[in-house]
Amino acid sequence: MSEEIKNQEIDTDAILEVRNLRKCFPLKKTVTGKVTQELIAVDNVSFKLKAGETLGIVGESGCGKTTLGRTILKLHEATGGKIFFEGKDITDYNSKQMRDIRTKMQIIFQDPYSSLPPRSTVGGILSEPVEVHNIVPKEQVKDYVLDLMTKCGLRDYYYERYPHEFSGGQRQRSCIARALSVKPKLVICDEPVSALDVSIQAQIINLLKQLQNELNLTYVFISHDLSVVKFISDKIGVMYLGSMVEFGSKEDIFSNPLHPYTKALFSAIPHPDPDVKMNRIILKGDIPSPANSPKGCRFHTRCPHATDKCREVTPEYKDYGNGHCAACHLLG
Amino acid sequence: MEEQTKNEALETQNTEVPLDKTVRLMSPTRMVVRRFFRSKLSIVGLVMVISLFLFSFVGPLVYTEWGEIELDESGKTEYSVSQTTYTVNGREYVVRQTTEKSLKDNFLAPPSAEHILGTDNEGYDIFVRLMYGGRISLIVSFIAVFLITVLGVIMGGIAGFFGGAIDNIIMRLCDVLICLPGIPILLIISTILDASEIDAKYRIYLLMIYLTFISWPGTARLVRGQILSLREQEYMVAAEAMGYSAPRKIFKHLVPNVMPQLIVQMSLSLGSMILYEATLSYLNLGVKAPYAAWGTMINIISTNQDILQNHLNVWVPAGICIVIAVLGFNFIGDGLRDALDPKARR
Amino acid sequence: MSKNSNHLSGKEVRAIAKENKRVIKSLEAYKNRKADESEYLGHMSDQNNILEIDNLHTYFFTEQGVVKAVNGVSFNIPKNTTVGVVGESGCGKSVTSMSVMRLIQGPAGQIYSGSIRFNAKEKNGESKVYDIAKMPIRDIHKIRGNQISMIFQEPMTSLNPVFTIGQQLDEVSFIHDPNATKESAKAKSIEMLELVGIAMPERVYNAFPHELSGGMRQRVMISMALASNPRLIIADEPTTALDVTIQAQILDLLRDLKTKIDGSIMLITHDLGVIAEMADYVVVMYAGRVIERGPVKEIFHNPLHPYTIGLQKSKPTLDSDSDTLFNIPGNVPNPVNMPNYCYFRERCSQCTKKCSGDYPDMVEVTPNHFVACHLYGGEDK
Repeated sequence: MSEEIKNQEIDTDAILEVRNLRKCFPLKKTVTGKVTQELIAVDNVSFKLKAGETLGIVGESGCGKTTLGRTILKLHEATGGKIFFEGKDITDYNSKQMRDIRTKMQIIFQDPYSSLPPRSTVGGILSEPVEVHNIVPKEQVKDYVLDLMTKCGLRDYYYERYPHEFSGGQRQRSCIARALSVKPKLVICDEPVSALDVSIQAQIINLLKQLQNELNLTYVFISHDLSVVKFISDKIGVMYLGSMVEFGSKEDIFSNPLHPYTKALFSAIPHPDPDVKMNRIILKGDIPSPANSPKGCRFHTRCPHATDKCREVTPEYKDYGNGHCAACHLLG
Repeated sequence: MEEQTKNEALETQNTEVPLDKTVRLMSPTRMVVRRFFRSKLSIVGLVMVISLFLFSFVGPLVYTEWGEIELDESGKTEYSVSQTTYTVNGREYVVRQTTEKSLKDNFLAPPSAEHILGTDNEGYDIFVRLMYGGRISLIVSFIAVFLITVLGVIMGGIAGFFGGAIDNIIMRLCDVLICLPGIPILLIISTILDASEIDAKYRIYLLMIYLTFISWPGTARLVRGQILSLREQEYMVAAEAMGYSAPRKIFKHLVPNVMPQLIVQMSLSLGSMILYEATLSYLNLGVKAPYAAWGTMINIISTNQDILQNHLNVWVPAGICIVIAVLGFNFIGDGLRDALDPKARR
Repeated sequence: MSKNSNHLSGKEVRAIAKENKRVIKSLEAYKNRKADESEYLGHMSDQNNILEIDNLHTYFFTEQGVVKAVNGVSFNIPKNTTVGVVGESGCGKSVTSMSVMRLIQGPAGQIYSGSIRFNAKEKNGESKVYDIAKMPIRDIHKIRGNQISMIFQEPMTSLNPVFTIGQQLDEVSFIHDPNATKESAKAKSIEMLELVGIAMPERVYNAFPHELSGGMRQRVMISMALASNPRLIIADEPTTALDVTIQAQILDLLRDLKTKIDGSIMLITHDLGVIAEMADYVVVMYAGRVIERGPVKEIFHNPLHPYTIGLQKSKPTLDSDSDTLFNIPGNVPNPVNMPNYCYFRERCSQCTKKCSGDYPDMVEVTPNHFVACHLYGGEDK
């Protein structure tokens, strides 16, 4: 009965839906194992994502964006809330059930230096998942991998080379190739370009976009760089200290940012034109530690418009029309 | 027309390739080999160990004058017994006369052309026994280190990878084993072995199994520690996201990355195993007479104070062999450590 | 066997090692020599400059071959200006700054040739011109940390974790002023902390580095760099490790400070946005060479070198609405055994026949705007 209701609620269009997702890490435990203090990394995050879309998640360090990505992939066990993938509730899947879904959701990491095993050749790294999951028959594996490498802009003679001989851009291409080797539908890109040089960043972003068009991929694109996120995303979520403060389509977020944090984030980006002197909102103070996040609205310690209400009451996450959601008292 | 475009494509490829195809770097293996041989000490260690190997394994094939348990009979004391029978008053009296006659004084012989390092108190050739002793020491320590590594990798790998309760059980087991006093228990086991009359040749292997049993926790801890830090690396998260099975993740992804530390640890423990074996033999727990081991050869001094002072050729060579073996393995271990650690650039 | 073509053979490796050993030995001897001051005093070509880098070559002698990390770099830093050095990783921008500080890690890294002239002001007010590249390492303390100070990229690891902020700041005062007392040093440290906009200097003074956030630590690093009243501050990617909102704070602070202190800033970064906001004069580096330099407005409004143009186009901005990003194909070349033609040739869209010739010289296209590219100023020759 309850199963039926759940299934009805699920939007069949959505490839990924996250409902009130919560992830806490225990910090202190008593001898009996009871948690006395915890770090709330992701708190009450909800969103829906259609196949072929890109969701950009923006936020500063410690805002829980990486944890969110990994919890969706179930690399972390969620503390609360639900994750639906292709209409199925995968929140309580065990590792055996997950193994079948693993090929459908993949991840690309920020640091191309630590995300490739140092002791295998690129060919080995790329063929292993193909062999394990029987993506193609054994005798076609090498051709498949070489084809994949070409698709990702890697030359065929890299097949025999080790990751340490590569530059950051080539490594990131290898990581993308590895993620795509199992023909996934959803790829979580965890800051895939922030460790790369500007000219290489552009190459990788273009590659990601091109692959998305070719293979109809869905991306969750995590980044701290708003300009990159703007370029690649259809929808954008802004996170601050574990919770989503604003969510909406790219156009809405950029033309009409609602939350004061989003506004400050926009104005903080240095503009590559010496003549533009921006009227900058400079936020005071530092990001509080997520282990000890402030009461009420989490942003009130740095918010230029904070009132007494903000210090006491947690603002509600509301839809302000057209799926443009935000959590702020100022919006009424 | 088609050919032309093909040629063009080839050309563009050729012009594109140079900058990174012409750059030739060292292969990882060559880099390690080079760094290893850059240090003089590791070369010295390698020479030491290789010459010991040649000495113990090829030596007996080349120098066949004497066997391991072949006594120099020429020095043996001969006894001749003469017997005379007298009959007095109907009673018969038998008088036996024993004559002791040494042909040649050939136990504790000084070094000579016949015995390169002389003979010991039994009349065995010391030089030959050094070779056979080396065989025992090297074989036994290799076997022990191999067993220690296998057991340590499996236990440490499982503990580090799974964590939680399994980790707790294995690590507490390690703690207990490390607490056990090795030598006293060995003495007890040895007594039991003596009582059960096990062939002297196999005793040492049984004892090595015991050594493995009490020594694996060191390796297990090393492997576990490394795996704990490697597990957080992003390529392991990627492997997790790929849905690889646990054995694949442990033995195909984690253990190969622990190999450098493991190899270093192995070469260092080879030295300590040789020391251990020598100690056991010295305490008469290991190889028993008539078989040779470096430890038993030094142990001869305990039978006779005179040998300690006046017959240095009996026990000093064995001591030197032990020093060379232990130093050699340690030098190699240090050299490997420097060569395999990419951060240790000097 | 196919690997052999990809990797160096043992013979080649030994030849490289032998040659390296020879060169390093002579360079180390030169670095560690005792020398009279007159040997390394020089003259500025323009008294208005604080620093003149002239044809600097800094090489790393690695086992794989010589890496020419800085390969003939020349530029000047005039008084009271911010010079931005911009380039991608491995272009030699950090090595240039390390050469100025003489912090290149020997024996592999060595300043091979060239000169770095620094216009120093002694305590008694007279000015001297030191050639930093020729100074023996034992005399470098006359300048390092004293006349020139440095702000590093990693605020997390640049402070010693076992001492309080106060102890570390006081130390700077003690080193540079032998007459300082505990009280005067503390007063100065707190003044410095106030200068960099720390709200509760007394509390931060007694704090340990791990108690501070990244932004705070970077402020402390800046105050440390300022404590000795340097003539030149080298800021090596000062905001790269920080979050955007914190970066905005720090940049604001640096801009503020420039007006307060009487000195120049050499700002090293890969972020064109930061350069546009901060710098007066821009130096663009690529693969160990300066490919373009000029006033900031010229560089941003009238970039000449195809690389500079590409770099600016490939950065996504908030205003752009295009569907694909412009990108420069290919990768930054591996710096071992560089050929003597334009390094950018293989990634350049405007490559001509001329480009297969020698490396192009610097030409002055408009006043003070130089570029090293065959597309410009070729007619004169």
